[in-house]
Amino acid sequence: MPKRRKILFKLIIFIIFILSIAGCWNRRELDTLAIVFGVGIDKAKKPGNIEITAQVIKPGEMKSPQGGSGGGGEKPYWNLTSSGKTIFSAVREFTHKSNRKLYFPHNEIIIFSEDIAKEGIRKYMDFFIRDPEIRRLVWVLVAKGNASEVLETKAILEKVPARNIAQLIEARAATSQASAVRLQEFLTRLMSKTTAPIASVIEITREKKEKIARLIGTAVFKDDKLVGYLNKSETRGLLWVIGEVKSGIIVVKSPGGNGEVSLEIICASSKIIPEIKDNNIHIRVEITEEGNLGEQTSAEDLTSLPAWTVLERRQSEAIHNEVRRALKKAQELNTDIFAFGEAVHRKYPELWKDIENRWDEYFPNIEVTINVNAKLRRSGMTTKPPKPE
Amino acid sequence: MLRFLAKKLHFLQLLSQNSEDKQESKSRESSQTSLSRDITQNLKVLKDILGPSNDINIREFSFGYEEKVDAAIIFVDGMVEKTTINESIIKPLMYDSHLFTPKESQTITTSIDLIQRSMISVGDVKKVDSFDELVDDCLYGDTVLLIDGSHEALVISTKGWESRGVQEPKTEAVVRGPREGFTETLRTNTTLLRRKIRDPNFIFESMQLGQRTKTSVCLAYIKGIVNPKLVEEVRRRLKRIKTDAILESGYIEEFIEDAPFSPFATVANSEKPDVIAAKLLEGRVAILVDGTPMVLTVPMLFIESFQSAEDYYSRPYYASLIRTLRFIAYTITILAPAVYVALTTYHQESIPTPLLITMAAAREGTPFPAIVEALMMGTIYEILWEAGIRLPRPVGSAISIVGALVIGESAVSAGLIGAPMVIVVALTAITSFVVPAQSDTATMLRFVLTVFASVLGAFGIMIVLLGVLIHLSALRSFGTPYFSPLAPLSPRDLKDVFARVPLWAMFTRPRTIGWHDPQRQEFRLDPHPPPEESEK
Repeated sequence: MPKRRKILFKLIIFIIFILSIAGCWNRRELDTLAIVFGVGIDKAKKPGNIEITAQVIKPGEMKSPQGGSGGGGEKPYWNLTSSGKTIFSAVREFTHKSNRKLYFPHNEIIIFSEDIAKEGIRKYMDFFIRDPEIRRLVWVLVAKGNASEVLETKAILEKVPARNIAQLIEARAATSQASAVRLQEFLTRLMSKTTAPIASVIEITREKKEKIARLIGTAVFKDDKLVGYLNKSETRGLLWVIGEVKSGIIVVKSPGGNGEVSLEIICASSKIIPEIKDNNIHIRVEITEEGNLGEQTSAEDLTSLPAWTVLERRQSEAIHNEVRRALKKAQELNTDIFAFGEAVHRKYPELWKDIENRWDEYFPNIEVTINVNAKLRRSGMTTKPPKPE
Repeated sequence: MLRFLAKKLHFLQLLSQNSEDKQESKSRESSQTSLSRDITQNLKVLKDILGPSNDINIREFSFGYEEKVDAAIIFVDGMVEKTTINESIIKPLMYDSHLFTPKESQTITTSIDLIQRSMISVGDVKKVDSFDELVDDCLYGDTVLLIDGSHEALVISTKGWESRGVQEPKTEAVVRGPREGFTETLRTNTTLLRRKIRDPNFIFESMQLGQRTKTSVCLAYIKGIVNPKLVEEVRRRLKRIKTDAILESGYIEEFIEDAPFSPFATVANSEKPDVIAAKLLEGRVAILVDGTPMVLTVPMLFIESFQSAEDYYSRPYYASLIRTLRFIAYTITILAPAVYVALTTYHQESIPTPLLITMAAAREGTPFPAIVEALMMGTIYEILWEAGIRLPRPVGSAISIVGALVIGESAVSAGLIGAPMVIVVALTAITSFVVPAQSDTATMLRFVLTVFASVLGAFGIMIVLLGVLIHLSALRSFGTPYFSPLAPLSPRDLKDVFARVPLWAMFTRPRTIGWHDPQRQEFRLDPHPPPEESEK
């Protein structure tokens, strides 16, 4: 008997351990959750307070009933707002309005309004790193205007505006003219001493009285404060350098001078190489790119070797220009969005200790060489434009 | 609590032992052990033993040419072939008694030899001199011939009763392969096996079990392949069964299995002679029981449940594919409701967003928590299943329609149950039939897993699965690790686990079972072109 009792005792101990090492858990049924798809952060009317807008989906409305009262009906989402001194308090404040607890793991976007971004957002980021429910894969955006208004825009093909915006971010790879920044990367940049954080920019356009969200350009932060925006081509210039260009169209003049040629970017990569020349820090950016001939409005045959070479040269010139423009803008704003500082840090750790705190003085005047190695590969399904021989 | 139960069990055990002893002594008292020379005395004793049952026929007659001798035959009506008795016992004795001319020198003892040798035209005749043996044989369909003046009786084999023919087994239907199945008659079953394996080393060892039913049990093995220690162990375990009735092989299974409290069966069974033959040829021992078509084989391995006879009859690629499918189906059938419950109540973050929306929409407005839904649907399904087995055929379809409508369509449209749960339960229901040998444990496991998933989420599922895995690895069936060849791993035996390699590549028998004569066939049996003739 004592042996059996010993086994029983061990079993009980095991069960206690098992139950306690399960950690932070809680049983929640699906129908007790308010699934958050997007979060917007605005300034509240009361000074010093913030206002949070959470876009919560209504699962029942999400699935359009077949045959039933189709069309019209209620919006499949609900934008809740609440305000407080801190994010967490404002989030908990939601329980006064919503019977279900807000559930964040499926949240896809965090939008900061322009006002709040200009004042600095470091104090608001803490909650998003600390809370276990928030994913680091959330997209970070800055809204030109109010964040809550962006979450009210009309999503035509999607049912929920937040999801529409998240997919806009994923679709921007087709042009590479807007940044896409995940929370993880935003935080990395924010916690770096020299690298400036960037974020996507979302703005509202009006089309036929409908408010439509439009994703374009890049928001540039100095430290944690919004200081300016990059436009379309400057954004691509930035993305060339940090190696984030996925695809896009480069339009160049036709070699014959008559008409335009669209070149499609197929793949691109980059390297940032810091060098020290005459006691000066010098940055060399190597960009390798491959493209295809996608369209031509001129009537000439571009697949001949001379025309092809000219096209390749114009392509690399175009890339060069875009990078130059982005660089100029960054140096004007004195924001190291390219992470040049980190590159120097990696290559010259000893030197970096000296200049780390004075990087702001170095950066605006830093000399940058841009080497573009652009190739043109294929010409699509045809070699000649459609014209009579 | 447990100790209380143990005491209770012990008490019951003692009680039954006691009564057994009593019965035995009683039956011994009433019977004389050996026959006397006086036929009337013998008949009196026999009538006393056999009682007033009306199915026992005693036919007294006398025969002889010059001198009449009294004789009697005793048989159980319905268990004998009457034509044999009439044509081969009574007729020769009565009509051809001129052959029976005992010379002066011959005593009646030698004359019974004469009858046995030259008058009874039946294949199987033996001499018996004790009442016990005589009664046993008589009750098993043999005819007893008593002759006055002899202290021995002749037991003439006249077994013959109504029985089901050899039919296709309902439980293990195949598309390709033999369609015959075992029957309830032991002799037919041994015949079916003998026809498959015509090897003098193929041995049937018979014994009787059950003090009242006296059920014939037959131990079958192939000498030379089987491990003699295994046969010895099976014999030992069978011999120690002292119970009053063995009505089905399940009775024996429970008395001889290694882990009586484990949910996993450690004794395999099959209705198909080809399956049993294949297992015998791998070095297993089969136990055939009179009165049931289910034949037991030991030792049993866990993966045996996933191997079907057809795997070996169809070509290896397809067989391996189906084998893999069975493992997947088994995983689904034990895990599906548990995973669904765990995901929807604890790990909503790991469901892809669009799927989460769909699932949340389906859950919207349903009154019960996921675990209640799961247990309710699981129970309803088990009830339908159980009812479906016992239903009379004509009612079957009606009930199944009602069942399908009730647990499927209506429960969802009435808003009682979420649609995904119906899908999950339907999926488990279908997949549970893919591995029939494990379907009973799968049902139990499924419920346990679901409950744990509802309390601890995926963590709970892992705990149960690990526990089951440890248990499986610790189980043994007649000295063979139950989970082999996976644990302990014997790589060479993996040829028949997840994939089934071509038959010509299965050189060896399973190491853990058939090690006694490991080589099954010759090497290099794969089809290949004939060696080229030497060039001129």
